[in-house]
Amino acid sequence: MTTPPEMRDLARCLLACEAVASKTSEPLESAILRVYEKLRQSLGAFAGVAGFQSLALRALTQAKSEAPGLWAVKIAADGSLQGLGEIKTQIDMDEDPAGEGGVILIARLLGLLLVFLGEAITMRFVQSVWPDAALEDRNSEVRRKA
Amino acid sequence: MSIQDKVTINQLPTGVPGLDEIVGGGLPEFSFNIIAGAPGSGKTTLAHQFVFANASPERPALYFTVLGESSIKMLRYQQQYTFFDPAKLPGSIRFINLSQVVLEKDLGAVLEEITKEVEKSNPAVVVVDSFRTMVRKPQSDMDLQSFIQRLALFLASWQATTFLIGEYAEDELRDNPIFTVADGLFWLRQTAERNSIVRKLQIVKLRGQDSVPGLHTFRITDSGVQAFSRTFGLTARKRNPPSDRRLCFGIPELDKMLGGGIREGDSALIAGSSGTGKSVLATQFIAEGIRHGEPGIVAVFEERPQAYAERATSLGLDLETPQKDGKLTILYLRPLDLSVDETMHSILDAVQKIGAKRLVIDSLAGFEMALAPGFRADFRESLYRMIFALTGIGVTILREPLRRCLNFQRRSVRDLVLEVSVENCKKEAPASLPDWSQEAVSRPPETLRPLRGEPVAVLV
Repeated sequence: MTTPPEMRDLARCLLACEAVASKTSEPLESAILRVYEKLRQSLGAFAGVAGFQSLALRALTQAKSEAPGLWAVKIAADGSLQGLGEIKTQIDMDEDPAGEGGVILIARLLGLLLVFLGEAITMRFVQSVWPDAALEDRNSEVRRKA
Repeated sequence: MSIQDKVTINQLPTGVPGLDEIVGGGLPEFSFNIIAGAPGSGKTTLAHQFVFANASPERPALYFTVLGESSIKMLRYQQQYTFFDPAKLPGSIRFINLSQVVLEKDLGAVLEEITKEVEKSNPAVVVVDSFRTMVRKPQSDMDLQSFIQRLALFLASWQATTFLIGEYAEDELRDNPIFTVADGLFWLRQTAERNSIVRKLQIVKLRGQDSVPGLHTFRITDSGVQAFSRTFGLTARKRNPPSDRRLCFGIPELDKMLGGGIREGDSALIAGSSGTGKSVLATQFIAEGIRHGEPGIVAVFEERPQAYAERATSLGLDLETPQKDGKLTILYLRPLDLSVDETMHSILDAVQKIGAKRLVIDSLAGFEMALAPGFRADFRESLYRMIFALTGIGVTILREPLRRCLNFQRRSVRDLVLEVSVENCKKEAPASLPDWSQEAVSRPPETLRPLRGEPVAVLV
């Protein structure tokens, strides 16, 4: 099963948000790591380190089946992401759109939240971490497609 | 010290229907409470209801989870309840997981973590769920009592109302030093009685105000926990003064025998064998009330409201129109594991909703059968409380009796027993209204016997 397009869009939206926030032309890898890290911090506080780690492991397993380029990526015991640098070349979406592994990983993680907590809580959670993200329209889009 | 000098203890809504009445108006602000009970008894749901009722962006709630149920699964399930408002997350309600601290460190570190979060958020409500799992770790530096003592002191100073949730068995209630620290101790029980599950709640202690003593039944529905006070929520209400007004049946000779009808606010028992027309008489009482602009309630246990109304129609009594007009409610109370308190709650709600003046309970035998087995043993006592409560608010009650405890019911009835029989009666249901007037007229006045000094008519 592939990542639902609306979840990919949401992941891209968060990446764009991070890119704007950094105000630098940083590589996508850095934005992915920052989005992931923010999710880890806030989700970890709520679900616990072990709770977040198990979710992240599940998301990574799902993402790897869709983006084999993520083979080197691992989830550490504290839930942090390791080995994303290994796929640096693959996540340049302009050159290799099929290799947007990092985006898929974030999308899968958000997708799991959607499955377990439902749209309302997931979107409120995301909004609390990225208050400046334009999620209102996306919210209704997720609801329509869910 | 004068009343003006005393500190005012604000009361917070519990968010649990019926519980405010039980705790004496609401939960004391800044109190430190323990919710204890076995797994599955509703502790977490009760705490969530309190949190959702009181958290605000300015004074949020902090919900600390420790070991046990995963936070994600907890929210997955709790959001199914109607009180759960996702809009309150995470601005007004923040869930914080402490499992890592508990696993890797000691209770001192847990207290430090809680302190840090409380200082950061200035919460109005703090919940620790489940605090007891913290002491299952052998290398704890502090014992639980010391931890709770320090936590209670800290949270009171920070003006937070606190709930600690713990799994306790029944025999742990006595002599437990943990409970001495708490201002409030809420004990939830869930017991199996034959094939039924009965849930009961007890306010073991509550400092600062009077709570209603005893065991109160509660139910968990899609609205969450709903509690039913043993006093039916009527303790704060003023009893209506006795009235001399009579509520008639619309059966001239019977009303004449009764001095104009049943006195307003009284209860009457209709006794008789099967097929003698007890339900018909009760239906006439309700229908006559509606004709006089007195709304009525019929609580049925053995048949559906539609069937009850249709049977009335076949006897020439229209119960459909007054139902549509809001003058009559036929309550069908689910015949499974009911408690008397829960039944009373439904009846009182209906009474208040339409301003009912007349109530028929048809029948007490059906009522008793609908109760969970554990409540049947207390049926007589419950019946007494119920009649007292209902007549106290000015409702006139007609009940059909339970044959085996008729003598008791006679004693519990305040004013009137109507015992009916049909000579040479046939077993099948009457095709038309029994001729009550003829029946009454055919009897000599001596058959009207007084009971307990009140105006009483007994038709034999």
